[in-house]
Amino acid sequence: MRKAGSVDNKEGSMSKKVGARLTLLIGASLVAVIGLVSSGSALGGAGQSCGTVTLNEYGWPGSTANTYVAKYVLEKNLGCTVKITKITEVPSYQAMADGKVDAVLEDWGYPDQFKQYVTKQKTVAYVGSNGLLGHIGWFIPKYLLKQYPQFKTWKGLKGKESVFKTPESGSQGTFLGGDPSFQQKDKELIEALGLDFKHVTVGGYSAEVARVSQLIKQRKAVIFYWWTPEYLNAYLNLVEVQLPPRFKGCNDVGGAGGDVKQYRCRYASVPLKKLFSKEFAQSGSPAVKVLRKFKWPNNEAQNLVGKWITVDKLKPDKAAEKWVKANKAWVNAWLK
Amino acid sequence: MTTVAEVAPVTPVLSHRPWWRGKLVQTAGIVALMYLAYRAWALEYPWPQRLEWTALAGHLDDFQTWLIDEKNAEDQSIVFALFEGFATFVDNLVNWFDRLLLWLTWVGTTVAGTLIALRFGGMRAAVWVSAAFASFALMGLWEESMQTLALMLAAVGLSLSVGIPLGIVAGLSNRFMRAITPVLDAMQIVPAFAYLIPVVVLFSVGPGAAVISTMIYAIPPAVRITALGIRGVPVNTVEAATSMGSTRGQVLSKVQLPLSRRTILLGVNQTIMFALSMVVIAGLIGGGGLGDVVTSGLYTNPALAILGGVAIVVMAMALDRSTEAVANRTDPAHRHLTEARRKRLRLATVATFAGIGLTVALAKVFGAAAIYPETATAQEWLLEKVQNWLDYVQDPTTFVFSVTEPLGTFIVVHLVQPLLQFLVEAPWFTTLLGVAAIALIVSGVRPAVTTFAMFTAIGVLGMWEPAMETFSQVLVATGLAVLIGVALGVAAAESNAVSKVLRPTNDVLQTLPQLVYIIPFVYLMPISYVPGIVASVLYAFPAVVRLVERGVRDVAPDTVEAASAFGATRRQVLGKVKIPLAGDAVMLGVNQGIIMVLGVVVIAGLVGSGGLGYLVAQGLQRGQFGLGLVASLAILAMGIALDRVTQASRRSRKEGIE
Repeated sequence: MRKAGSVDNKEGSMSKKVGARLTLLIGASLVAVIGLVSSGSALGGAGQSCGTVTLNEYGWPGSTANTYVAKYVLEKNLGCTVKITKITEVPSYQAMADGKVDAVLEDWGYPDQFKQYVTKQKTVAYVGSNGLLGHIGWFIPKYLLKQYPQFKTWKGLKGKESVFKTPESGSQGTFLGGDPSFQQKDKELIEALGLDFKHVTVGGYSAEVARVSQLIKQRKAVIFYWWTPEYLNAYLNLVEVQLPPRFKGCNDVGGAGGDVKQYRCRYASVPLKKLFSKEFAQSGSPAVKVLRKFKWPNNEAQNLVGKWITVDKLKPDKAAEKWVKANKAWVNAWLK
Repeated sequence: MTTVAEVAPVTPVLSHRPWWRGKLVQTAGIVALMYLAYRAWALEYPWPQRLEWTALAGHLDDFQTWLIDEKNAEDQSIVFALFEGFATFVDNLVNWFDRLLLWLTWVGTTVAGTLIALRFGGMRAAVWVSAAFASFALMGLWEESMQTLALMLAAVGLSLSVGIPLGIVAGLSNRFMRAITPVLDAMQIVPAFAYLIPVVVLFSVGPGAAVISTMIYAIPPAVRITALGIRGVPVNTVEAATSMGSTRGQVLSKVQLPLSRRTILLGVNQTIMFALSMVVIAGLIGGGGLGDVVTSGLYTNPALAILGGVAIVVMAMALDRSTEAVANRTDPAHRHLTEARRKRLRLATVATFAGIGLTVALAKVFGAAAIYPETATAQEWLLEKVQNWLDYVQDPTTFVFSVTEPLGTFIVVHLVQPLLQFLVEAPWFTTLLGVAAIALIVSGVRPAVTTFAMFTAIGVLGMWEPAMETFSQVLVATGLAVLIGVALGVAAAESNAVSKVLRPTNDVLQTLPQLVYIIPFVYLMPISYVPGIVASVLYAFPAVVRLVERGVRDVAPDTVEAASAFGATRRQVLGKVKIPLAGDAVMLGVNQGIIMVLGVVVIAGLVGSGGLGYLVAQGLQRGQFGLGLVASLAILAMGIALDRVTQASRRSRKEGIE
């Protein structure tokens, strides 16, 4: 079965007919009506056979690992046809609401979208954690600790910011901020902690990986916004700088203004979420049961698969197969 | 913001005093005053908060929330059903094209493309098309390439079916042209990242939504170039037809359209290029195909992302060369066909389609696959070669790195940083008055008023500081792009060899997705704004080259001859005659350069430039629609101001000469 873009395969045969007719009918309004009918019919019957499941993959290796492991299991064990779409995070919520994407297996939390689609509209269903504990923080390469053991905690950074000086930061140290798609409060945190850092954005994920790994190769001093789970942490040998403990009401979403004291704590550790489209969750497909149980044993497991894909250049489906075969007992628990 | 604007014929009369001397001195004076103000009051006067309309982003967010709630409500309004119906129609169209390309089998598709190119475009077009299909096959990206080709066929077809009629109306009616120009400007300058969320809410995800967001960007060139073509028809020809008693409809269909056919086909060609530059962004909302190869390749296998980028470029160039060949062939000036030749052509058409039919039948009989077999590709080998190259780029101990890193540091420390500091820290009112005064000196009252209004709008939108950050980089990038563009453009005009090398280079830089070639620059120059500036310069300078080359080549030959007859050397002719006379084309180049630099602001933000680009990206990627749209409006305001200033300065210059 070929990928047919994002149109649900349930309407495959219908859209074929429509497509053939299209050459004759140019009147868009007429076709629009047919389109309505066909999308309407797609909402109907969902039997017990698995059929097609559409998983959405996001732009980081961990998400690739989730998607392909799930794909391997669903196709091998349930005979599903798994389609993978690559829609970026925020639009993927609407894609689930429209039933064009069935499931997302690693959501890092978008408070506004979650509130609107999951809590209020219930067009997207939250179905538990994928077993990973997501944690954002400030990271440095381990070699820095040899010279500056005090960098283990933020207090040790005080007065030593100029170690991280770059041509763009003048006398200050440079703090490299993260991908625009991630939650950040580093500007506020720097201010609240009274550190002499200049916050510099390095752009998207790929650009941050490029910049940081190049600086680390040169064994320069670098401090940046980063997270676990992430395959690169072991590969680049990163350590986290300890930030102040959390307190009640501590805010992780920067940019809202107000007193910076409310941000003066480390980022929360959050279980990463699995989300289903409401339609899929209620479809009774056997895939629903399996994906509800889909869970990594720990962060390291996903990092390993991520490393196979990115560093060892294993094709994602091969990497997934390798991991599933090595963890039969764990995967069998999803199938019970 | 004209995609293709005529370079007006230059009258070879120069005033005694160079026009710019006075203006340059005055501008320098203004800048000096601004600098003094900066020295005196640095950081003391940021844009005042009470002049900011901070509630706007919130209102826009509320609108989005409302829209999503309405869209997903049980009792959904019929309006949404219409949007969804249209999206489904486009989804089906794309899928139909895709299935057709696969049904023909890879052999059939290749032969069909080649034969059609041969019949309507000629030998060169056929070679381009067959080479393109061969490269999709060898790179192991057949399936993805066909998906993208299907997407492009639908996007280009729909863009033209909207753009050409609008262009015809705009060509006939000045009022309509004036009304539609700002809309077209907005469609081209507002970054796609800003409108992807509303597009997804209205049209959902998938090929339909991808085509619609591509259309927003690809329609403007179709409208503009068609209007240009209609307007380019000589007035006396139209008058002659009217005086012979033709109705308005007859004049349009028998005179204006046939005579502007070549220009309109050039518009088709530009529409294709613009559409292809959206492949990666359209991938973010379900476009699939090569866009996915590029985006997911960027974080799992950069070598694969590069192959995907190359496939996009190859597709663009093949489509460009073949539509250009078709355009040249249908030029009415060369198309007085005899009855016998007409017959032969008709026969050739029949033979072409018979050939395609036969090939497909044979392919089916021999069981050719829909997709080029994976086992026969050179993908592994290519990936290894690309990876070797990437490893070299990523190695900080090479000679290249020892050059690029200090160069990057130099650009930051000596160009961007001082300018940035100056613009961000100077009192807002001196900057505002300063840019308006410079606009007044360079191009007149109206552009000065526009500039003042637009920069005020930026402040009111609450975007003053990020906008100044972006502005400083736009100025540096445009400066570098113009410098490189003028030098290469003049070289290309003087030497056909240079011109031949530059043309494909320009095409590659215009269509290769920026993220593909910019990530290697992050490795080579791991310093803040530099990769973004490199991206902007690489994207913008080809347009400058093209315009300057044309301007210099178009200098009236008799002027050049006269200069030579007076004993001027080649260098003197170039320096004293050709370049001064091509000044208009150079200004148009500056104008285009700025617009293109603004087009890369978001990509630049994604590789470390910060400023407005980062905010727009954040708008899409964190779902902060209001913030993203407000930042986009600031980019638009900056674009309008810079466009009007550079365009009007062309006009005032022209008047000065005449």
